[in-house]
Amino acid sequence: MMASIRKLFKSIDWTIPIAIVILMVIGVLFIYSSGVTSAGDLVSTEYAKQIVWAATGLALLVACAMIDLKRVSDYIPIVYGLSIALLVYTMAFGKVVNGARSWLGIVGDYGIQPSEFVKITTALFLAHYLERSAHESSSFRRFALSFAIVAVPMGLILMQPDFGTSLVFVPLYLSMAFIGGINKRYLLSFILFGGIGVVLTVMPLWQTLIAAEQSIVLRIFYEKPYVYYILLMLIVVAALALLGFRFFKKRYYYWLAYGAGIGTLGLAFSLAGQRFLKDYQVKRLIVFLDPSIDPLGSGWNILQSITAIGSGGVAGKGFLQGTQSHYRYLPQQSTDFIFSIISEELGFLGGIVVFGLFFYILVRLALSMRKLRDVASSAFVAGVFGIIFFHFMINAGMAMGVMPITGIPLLFLSYGGSSLWSICIGVGLCLGIGARRYDS
Amino acid sequence: MGDHISEGRRNEPVRVALLIALATVVFVAYSAHLFYLQVIRGGEYQKKAVTIARQIERLPAQRGEIYDRNYNLPLVLNVDSFALVVVPAEIPADMRDTVFAKLASVLEEPVDELRRRIPPSYYRLFQQIEVASSVGQDVIVQIAERIDEFPGVSWYSRPKRNYLETGSFSHIIGYVGDISRDELKLYYNRGYQTGDVIGKAGIERQYDSLLRGTDGRQYKTVDVRGRRVDAELRDVDPPLMGKNVVLTIDRATQILAEKSLGERIGSIVVLKPATGEILALVSYPSFNANLIVEKGGNNEYARLLNDPRTPLIQRAIQSNYPPASTFKTIMTAAIIEEKAIPLDEKIVCHGEISYGDRVFRCHIRKPGHGPLDLASALAESCDVYFWEVGRDRLGIERIVSYAMEFGFGQATGIDLPGEAEGFVPTPQWKERRFHEKWLGGDTLNLSIGQGFMQTTPLQLADMMAMVVNEGVIYRPHLLKEVRDPRDGSIVTRVVPEVLTASSISKETFKTTKEYLRGVIVEGTARYPVNTKAVKVAGKTGTAEVGLADRWHSWFVGYGPTDAEDPDDVIVVVAMIEASNPWEWWAPYATNLVFQGYFAGQTYEEAAAQLGLLGRSMPIGQRME
Repeated sequence: MMASIRKLFKSIDWTIPIAIVILMVIGVLFIYSSGVTSAGDLVSTEYAKQIVWAATGLALLVACAMIDLKRVSDYIPIVYGLSIALLVYTMAFGKVVNGARSWLGIVGDYGIQPSEFVKITTALFLAHYLERSAHESSSFRRFALSFAIVAVPMGLILMQPDFGTSLVFVPLYLSMAFIGGINKRYLLSFILFGGIGVVLTVMPLWQTLIAAEQSIVLRIFYEKPYVYYILLMLIVVAALALLGFRFFKKRYYYWLAYGAGIGTLGLAFSLAGQRFLKDYQVKRLIVFLDPSIDPLGSGWNILQSITAIGSGGVAGKGFLQGTQSHYRYLPQQSTDFIFSIISEELGFLGGIVVFGLFFYILVRLALSMRKLRDVASSAFVAGVFGIIFFHFMINAGMAMGVMPITGIPLLFLSYGGSSLWSICIGVGLCLGIGARRYDS
Repeated sequence: MGDHISEGRRNEPVRVALLIALATVVFVAYSAHLFYLQVIRGGEYQKKAVTIARQIERLPAQRGEIYDRNYNLPLVLNVDSFALVVVPAEIPADMRDTVFAKLASVLEEPVDELRRRIPPSYYRLFQQIEVASSVGQDVIVQIAERIDEFPGVSWYSRPKRNYLETGSFSHIIGYVGDISRDELKLYYNRGYQTGDVIGKAGIERQYDSLLRGTDGRQYKTVDVRGRRVDAELRDVDPPLMGKNVVLTIDRATQILAEKSLGERIGSIVVLKPATGEILALVSYPSFNANLIVEKGGNNEYARLLNDPRTPLIQRAIQSNYPPASTFKTIMTAAIIEEKAIPLDEKIVCHGEISYGDRVFRCHIRKPGHGPLDLASALAESCDVYFWEVGRDRLGIERIVSYAMEFGFGQATGIDLPGEAEGFVPTPQWKERRFHEKWLGGDTLNLSIGQGFMQTTPLQLADMMAMVVNEGVIYRPHLLKEVRDPRDGSIVTRVVPEVLTASSISKETFKTTKEYLRGVIVEGTARYPVNTKAVKVAGKTGTAEVGLADRWHSWFVGYGPTDAEDPDDVIVVVAMIEASNPWEWWAPYATNLVFQGYFAGQTYEEAAAQLGLLGRSMPIGQRME
């Protein structure tokens, strides 16, 4: 027993946890910094709580590395089911924080955000399913079922409504499905469909608020009744092309039908999106393209964040010396905009170190996939890869003003227990998978 | 997880390489952008960060004023007052205790109260926390003189509501208060914020969105230490004052009705049937809204809440009572319309009838009223006539259907919160509720408006409006028009809206009106309702409530009966609860209102003319 643990410890890639610990230390330091006022008073104890979260998170990480997923694979569907049930329970009885019913209070101010943990259980179950269905590798059924596994928690979280967290399920799915061998054509269609849908959804506001000159041609894609004509036209084209393909068997008709079909779905999706999303929500999504359209609302946050980062210069203003953060110009500086404080006080050099650490973790995770022998293992690692990658890309991008504001934290750095714990569990499981790669 | 070599696995190294490539692209691009922001344009941002930042300050809007229908004197004014706010994070930690102590002494409040408002979890907040909502000029002066001793403390003007008319007006106008957590949850999407003032009751609540106006914003450009750099004019969004609200209430009539009711628990409604406008809506006991909005108003509110006489209840619309004999108005219309009995057929009243194992007694004991046709049965309010016709000729189904037709059991839709709906019992309901069959005795009770039936005084006013309008009830309302606060121009004028239109024939209503006039000329109300100022018609009612020698006293009337212009007609309902010492006051109160309204007299003048001044009615003979 001891021998096997010792062996396991030897085969774990410890450089990943080391990179994580460095990130956690930076995180605690700058959560501390974010709680210091201009007068130098410490007005928040978040940093102390974060130390507790980080320490327990690391313990969880190591503990999870011990788990042999192959032994517990029978329980994975149950865990997934329970986590979905927990989401439903949260929707009914959860606490509302920042407008979303996403919290379950435990004791006093402490609580958990079940949606964070569901990311991991969903990845586990999806990996499990991909393994089981590997023999029908390219079937549409496999694509549809695997997507349904992700769509259920995603939809529930969207209803909380927590847009940012639900969005994480998209890269989670794409990276896992990609590694798990889902037919690439379906995935590509899915990306195309989503892309067209999103672009068309934000187009009306983009045109009115940001575009220098409104394009009349583009208006037919969202203005009624033209948009219905377009929709009808696309459907007719798709139907005719399908008939053409049926009778003449030309590739040419196939691609025409394919294009028109994707277009129809994307346009329909955008119509639904415009109906469900309020204008201010869409505005929040596209304001990064031109912060000056909302200089006092979310655009203000972006401008302040960019100013904070830019004013950091090469070497930064020094720890606790940032002005933007201590003079309260940054909102949610310990969670959403932690990267702005780090860059302001540590400068370009500090920023690059943070980027590098994330990049290192991602590359090590990706490389560990190559040596894995089963679909479930590599798909799960790909899922964790997707989560970390997406969080990093969106959050750091938001702070620099190149990504929309969605309110998802920068993993390992931002204040908050649930997201930290859940990613520690995820990485821990990945390390365990990697360390057992030669076991039979 | 078994090992499974599949077709998809062969390409895996390629796929992994693709993921790494993706991460590399983002990493390189982000690093380049970071380099651009911090190294290439760094100097530019450093300047920006030191010199300029913008702050937003809220400029609260004045709440709209409320007028009576004559639009001359406001019923509510705004007076100067201030809200005191603290930005907890701006108080240095070592000064916190002293600042709290000083603030508490200036506000004359225990320091614990202050600590409760600013708990330690707020200490790092840069948001303004309101510690007192209506502070006078004197307190502000004290703080302003020693402002350096109060870091993080500031204030803004927040006018306080001053209700010029209280008493029965307070029930209508209501009052305002700080928005509660639950209200904030409900209204957050409509632009309400923490610390807002919101209407809590009455018109203040009903039309809060009109009255509250829109807060303005001032954008200050400040340097990094918070010092003001410049204030350009375009940086101010001025606040928009709330709209002025003009009510249908007539101040003089309201006061007349309030005094006519006097210190008797009950209510009076004065309604214009031609439009649904409410001229007076009185409920006693009432309260003084100024005491609730003032500092320490919570204590007053708690006191009112605990008062066994429930002064916070607007009895005219929020209390249900059995309509008693006033219900015979509907019975009469039903009997005529349904031709249930020839109008000249007489039924002999012996003073009582036996039904089942019970004896039902008319209010005139043996030998009773003698033979009566419908007109005299209504005039004398003979129970025996309506019992027999109700049970044997009309039947429960038709009685229920007519009660509904007159709007019983349904909200009138008046523009005040918390209206009661009343209740019309049906055989199905009784079976469901009590698992008992509907008995003939229940029909007897219902025929004279007793038993399970419940109505509000306003519903009875609507019942009479239906008769006056010969088949139409206009939705009763209090809002007459909305006016712009700057130039007094009318923004919206409320137009009468049909609430119920009945299919009962106009002839039926005409006959009913004739019979109702008979109640005053030769019936039960001929002595109490003796005003010469106007020709009145109406119906008395006395409801049994199980108290010995105590009854609810009703009068529902309208006048003039010979009006040329339907707009001149008013309906008056008076309701005196059985909890008062019995004095059969409702007809007299109505009489006073009619006299005062049509002769243009105050209560004192009207009472003097009718010989009722200062008279407390002796316990009289019970009449129905």
